Amino acid sequence: MMSGQGQDAKFFQRGKIQEFRQELQAAETKDKKYTKRKTILKKIVANITMGNDMSPLFVDVVQCLGTPLLEIKKMVYLFLINYGRAKADSIHMIIPNFLQDCNDRNPLIRALAIRTMSYIPIPVVIENLTEQLRHHLKDRDPYVRKTAAICVAKLYAADPRKAERGGFVELLRDLLVDSNATVVANAVAALSEISDRQDGVLFKLNLPVANKLIAALGESSEWGQIYILDALLRYVPETHADAELIGERISVQLQHANSAVVLTTIKVLLYLMNYMESRKLIEHICKRMGPPLVTLLSSGPEVQYVALRNILLIIQRRPTVLKNDVKVFFCKYNDPIYVKLAKLEIMYRLANEENVKEVLAELEEYASEVDIDFVRKAVRSIGRITIKVEGAADACIRSLLGLIETKVTYVVQEAIIVIKDIFRRYPGKYEGIIPKLCENLDALDEPESKASMIWIIGQFANRIDNADELMDDLTYNFLDEPTEVQFALVTAAVKLFVYKSSSDSVKALVHKVLKWTTEEIDNPDLRDRGFMYWRLLAINPTPAITTDADRMDRGALDQLLLHTGTLGSIYHKNPETFIRGAAGKALVDSPALNPMSRQVLVPIQREAPPSGPIVVPGPGPIEPGAASIPSPLPMNTSKPAPPLPPESVGTGGLLEGEGSAGDEDEDEDEDPAAARLASASDPYASMDAAFGEYTADAPQPSTVTQGAELLF
Amino acid sequence: MAIDGLIILDSANFRPIVQTSFRSFSTAYPLLHIDAYNAALAKAERPEDIDPVLFVPLPDAPTACCHLQHLSLIFLCPISGNLDPLYAFAFIRTFLDILIEYFGDVTAPTLRDNFDIVHQLLEETLDAGGHPLTTSPNALRDIVLPPSLITKILSVTGVSGLSGPTTTGLSAFSSPIPWRKAGLRYNNNEIYFDIIETLDAVVNKSAAIITSSVLGKINVNCKLSGTPDLLLTLTNPHTITEPSFHSCVRLSRFAQSKTLSFIPPDGRFTLMEYRFDPSASKPGAAPALTAAAASQLQVQVPFTLRSALFVTDHGGTFELTFSPRASALDDVVIELYLGAGASSATCSASTGGGGWTYLPAQNTLRWSLPPTTRGGRSTANNNNTLQGTFTSSEARPRPARAAQISFALPPGALLAARLDASSGGWSGKAGDATFVCFLRGGQRLGTMERMEARDFGITTSLSTE
Repeated sequence: MMSGQGQDAKFFQRGKIQEFRQELQAAETKDKKYTKRKTILKKIVANITMGNDMSPLFVDVVQCLGTPLLEIKKMVYLFLINYGRAKADSIHMIIPNFLQDCNDRNPLIRALAIRTMSYIPIPVVIENLTEQLRHHLKDRDPYVRKTAAICVAKLYAADPRKAERGGFVELLRDLLVDSNATVVANAVAALSEISDRQDGVLFKLNLPVANKLIAALGESSEWGQIYILDALLRYVPETHADAELIGERISVQLQHANSAVVLTTIKVLLYLMNYMESRKLIEHICKRMGPPLVTLLSSGPEVQYVALRNILLIIQRRPTVLKNDVKVFFCKYNDPIYVKLAKLEIMYRLANEENVKEVLAELEEYASEVDIDFVRKAVRSIGRITIKVEGAADACIRSLLGLIETKVTYVVQEAIIVIKDIFRRYPGKYEGIIPKLCENLDALDEPESKASMIWIIGQFANRIDNADELMDDLTYNFLDEPTEVQFALVTAAVKLFVYKSSSDSVKALVHKVLKWTTEEIDNPDLRDRGFMYWRLLAINPTPAITTDADRMDRGALDQLLLHTGTLGSIYHKNPETFIRGAAGKALVDSPALNPMSRQVLVPIQREAPPSGPIVVPGPGPIEPGAASIPSPLPMNTSKPAPPLPPESVGTGGLLEGEGSAGDEDEDEDEDPAAARLASASDPYASMDAAFGEYTADAPQPSTVTQGAELLF
Repeated sequence: MAIDGLIILDSANFRPIVQTSFRSFSTAYPLLHIDAYNAALAKAERPEDIDPVLFVPLPDAPTACCHLQHLSLIFLCPISGNLDPLYAFAFIRTFLDILIEYFGDVTAPTLRDNFDIVHQLLEETLDAGGHPLTTSPNALRDIVLPPSLITKILSVTGVSGLSGPTTTGLSAFSSPIPWRKAGLRYNNNEIYFDIIETLDAVVNKSAAIITSSVLGKINVNCKLSGTPDLLLTLTNPHTITEPSFHSCVRLSRFAQSKTLSFIPPDGRFTLMEYRFDPSASKPGAAPALTAAAASQLQVQVPFTLRSALFVTDHGGTFELTFSPRASALDDVVIELYLGAGASSATCSASTGGGGWTYLPAQNTLRWSLPPTTRGGRSTANNNNTLQGTFTSSEARPRPARAAQISFALPPGALLAARLDASSGGWSGKAGDATFVCFLRGGQRLGTMERMEARDFGITTSLSTE
């Protein structure tokens, strides 16, 4: 171990500036081999990193710069990097030292000097650096050249126009064909950094340079490889053959041990595929991408998580990748929860007629595990698979019923939520199980499951003999229920009435519920719904449910895949929407771009203007389609009911008042103006007759409450 | 393409030990990320369940905080651009490897004691703009002296300083190959290869394998002079699928001829990782199956675990029966999570059936079995059983439905034997030096396996209630 082990720990103690100053002055004499100064500087640096302000020592510390000892130089430079900017007025006195070190015989010192200067964005320093850097970019030592390349990016950040006028961008471009791979990689990194700025020059690659960069891949460090591969996204292939050749050449990188290199390679391959013609080659590359992705799953949980989030994106665009590998996504008992949840999502995506049996068996297993959150998601996944894979519906229903039998409350509740959606997907097929569900009515204590059960009762009121009794029980605490449940109750009561309009108890029930809704409920949406039902009796089709809507839009996917591996791919959002200053990425049109990719091409928007016409919801029923703009977050598994596709036509039902329609209403009516308009102009006034004998009884909104509502 | 910096926290008090300077950010920037991490930690039920990429909604621009825990240290890496989080994780791993290389055991006290070295390492590996600089241990060792005895002597005699590191440092950077410095000299030219294979399997209650995979890793310790260019040939490369290589391996060469051609780094490194796929060795294997799917058909788990677990009010009874199939198994440890609230367990193992402990902190029962005798073919006599009861504060405990079993196969057993052909087929050839090649895979290094046995009869007992 180190000689001064115990003493170093003391460096953490808050130092006293005065003490250090005196020590430094004392060290100027009788300091053989500079050991005293070294020790004091070490203490000072320790204090800097602990966040203690050492800037008053500026003058004393820079005195040490003349010391011909690299270790001391390093520490003084570290001090300068920290306080140089704050000491703008005294920095000029060190310039001669900087210049001297810039021309030192030792390349390490030359590099250290320019590196330090580039971190101090003060005009006088930048001025001197500009002069020096030109030589260092052509230094004979590769270590200096690679450091100088990065310094250009810093110079550009300090003064873009000056750097351009000085021809530094061109000098960097020359380094792209340097003999040393590390220098090439750093030049690429610097150019990329410049180009990613909003005001930066665009960095584009042509075929010869792209080929040169790929040749440098073999000798680069992993970091260099990442820079180079990432820069290949700036190359737009002009012909299919170019794209195919480059794709072939970089695909060997898929076998790199560094996970970041692998994922960056996949990103570039996915990008190039948009410009390829040969189906066979695309298929081939897709096949080759599978194994490295699987290999990432044997790394640490954090790498697995990033990999899984990306796999989820990739398999939506290129379903052939990992098509037969659903088993590698089976959860291990000791996976962290975030890995398990990400795996579940992928298992659902990969489930098809062939593998559904195995997948279902796994999901049943998960549904009986210990972790509640995971169990719920597993049950939801069973439901989603039922909706997705028609051939497996019977088996899924059986397993869901099995889960309900366990009587574990959260499992039962989750199962009922998904069964509601299954009823909507397969109308007329599984209603036989309704009695079983009704047995568990008392177990439901969460709003979503309760609302689902109520929906089922309302929707199939004609098949449930004691539907009116059940509804009577459920409405017992109507005013204390959460809004979600109240919505469901109102709708279900109306449906019940339509089925059993002859029953007096049902009449009383619906009357009671609507009266509560319109007179005692504060929620404007719910109240409006109440008024609407009072007057509305129109036949609306109940649309069938599909899972197509939870797929991402093709153009958006193409765009997201350009961010493979990055934060954007973790959150499944384009980075410009959540990172300030992030430049958008989009496919660039070229003769080689696939017609399919061109069709869905999303143009780049640096300053994202509002896209499309802004629809102001006016009076009248809300079109189901208007609110069903595909959500950018397909991961929203907590709400499995996808927006209703407006074109689908179902049979039987009469009112579209299901859960998801409720969500839409909520979204739209957040605009108080819209709510006001809707209630003021009363578009349903002409439908009075529809509600038969109850019309006369319909309560009118009191002016007092309306006034209160307007205040919102 | 740059990370913002690195913060190393002490998990004892969640305060920073060392951090980079975050020069282009406000002083609060690192603190905000530490707070975000602590807030996420407070919210999570188990510390390992926090998302590895935390979204930090800073007022002016949101960022992400990648984090990773190693023993008592927590590494935080904030990123503000749309960067690849794997890039951050790869850097953290690399830096961690460097620390391990320098200090051996990496703990909070070690880092505090060697603060100046850690700080120098940070400065050299990550520039202030967030670009990784020198991460190859070969080159680093010349710029930042490791805290070794020699350094101590050098500093006492005054040899270190400008003359010491810089002259040799030059050689590190003048080398055209980033991972190997020029001009190395060894008296004994030796290179060692270790092959470690891991079997990962999930088994259901009828002892059928649901998934299994064998992952292999070749670790190398290279002590060769000069710049040797090595060529390694595998005798049956087709059983190796999904290989991934150290950056020194020429990938295009492997793609062409399935041979490993490389100039090795100096010292220890991982040459390659791969998945073992015995089915590929059979000609005419169904091409429709992918590598992962096909390997599942092949690799067998060398034992079975039968079990029955009955849950009663505030506790339960269980019986585990372990029957080895392979001739020899070492270090067999079976762990069973008894559910939240489990308070104690009492068991009795069959004669010679090993020992058990109950870990109250993890609510887990651990059963360690003695090594099974070599050459004992009759599995019927080798059965070990563990019977017992447990108590729980929960009225209706929910123990795990899966037991986790880890074990080691002694050299030459089962998998290693199967892999013999591939592991025994190395041949060494150097460009400008002769050397001895030591091969240890399959002979001296154990094969570590880990599996879970799923679902053992808890369902029935739960429904009896």
